[in-house]
Amino acid sequence: MIGSKSVVEKKVKYTVFTIEECPVDGQKTKREFQVGDYITKDGAKCTKCGNQTRISLIYAETAKPPK
Amino acid sequence: MLSGIGGSLLQIGLDLNSIFYVVSLLVFVAYGLYAPRIQVWFALNEIGRGLTRLKVMKDKARKETIDYLTTTGKAPKDPTERVDQFLDYITIMPVDIDPNGIVGKIDHVVTTRDDRVRQEVGTIVGDKSPVTVSVSENLLEAATALNTIHKIVRHFYLLGKKTNSYFLLVQLQMLMPMIIQEADALVSAVDTFKLAQPLGDGIGAVIASRYMVGREKQTIAKDTVLAVNEYKGRKLYVVKAEGPMAYVGQPGVGIRHVIEEMGVKPSAIIMIDAALKLEGEKTGEIAEGVGAAIGGIGVEKYQIEEVAAKHKIPIYAILVKQSILEAITAMRKEIAEASDKVMTLLNRVIEEKTKEGDDILIAGIGNTLGVSQ
Repeated sequence: MIGSKSVVEKKVKYTVFTIEECPVDGQKTKREFQVGDYITKDGAKCTKCGNQTRISLIYAETAKPPK
Repeated sequence: MLSGIGGSLLQIGLDLNSIFYVVSLLVFVAYGLYAPRIQVWFALNEIGRGLTRLKVMKDKARKETIDYLTTTGKAPKDPTERVDQFLDYITIMPVDIDPNGIVGKIDHVVTTRDDRVRQEVGTIVGDKSPVTVSVSENLLEAATALNTIHKIVRHFYLLGKKTNSYFLLVQLQMLMPMIIQEADALVSAVDTFKLAQPLGDGIGAVIASRYMVGREKQTIAKDTVLAVNEYKGRKLYVVKAEGPMAYVGQPGVGIRHVIEEMGVKPSAIIMIDAALKLEGEKTGEIAEGVGAAIGGIGVEKYQIEEVAAKHKIPIYAILVKQSILEAITAMRKEIAEASDKVMTLLNRVIEEKTKEGDDILIAGIGNTLGVSQ
């Protein structure tokens, strides 16, 4: 063995998204993560029923941000 | 010797094949004699390149930490000197020949270190909000870990170079890809910490938070909270570190508090945590089993096993697989999406292993950055 090949994976660019979920009708809205977001934090009003949504998930994925 | 070779050349003739044969013979002999030195040369080159990468990474983590303390942390004074002092902060583990057990001593040393780090960060930053302080703690720890990795690799590199030790260098060369991978994960974690985004390791906390939302919370140990909920006639005592700060809490102390001080007699302890996947396993895969699902130095695991064994409470584990990089960087979609499956599995475990009227203790383990309750 003369040289060992690096096993470090190629860097993939991730975008972090926040999912706001309405506790009443389960409507989910996906938007880009904003500093200060955290899971269980109150989100915007539900576009369907007008109730207060809550952040249910925050995750990173390789997709481009929604327009 | 040369006259011998010359004689042989004259005997076999000076055609091209013969010259090639002699040269090959010489190269073969030379390689036999100098192979270790050639290997050392290659090893030194490769380790040297890795060491340069490690230096870039540790400098980046240090710079990012100083930037965070200055901008978000609003440090009143330049924190550079304090950060540099902190990078060489040492934790001396207790002697391991103690026949009475050393877990209590390790717990004491680690708790003292954690308190000291928090106190230190508290004096550096101007913004004393718990999230900022906890993120600063995590950033300092990542920078310290990278600094330590760099120093250790540099030590063995220089020692190998100085002593021309073939075996030392070749071992280090073989370990370098794994070391770089771990360092790469740590440096990637810095950006996630700065933005206070949930980590892959926080999946246990995400699950626990779903049972805690809207419920009254009480602090049961340092940075650890409890909420009580109900599910199909069972009473759920849900424990997690206090979010959205970058805490892991003290689930061991918390679980013992619930059982021994609050007098709860759970018929099962269910622990949810992230687990390192093996190569070939998919991110977000779920594994079910028994035993205390918790990583770390072992103190919390010992405490949970101790209290469970004493009271004869079965421990069930639900694990979400991920790599080291995924565990300490922003939670990947595959891990987040596993949360619904974990909830289904958790509810099934509750229904199958317990009956109506039982008390159940659920512990969501992991760093709870960006996950409140």
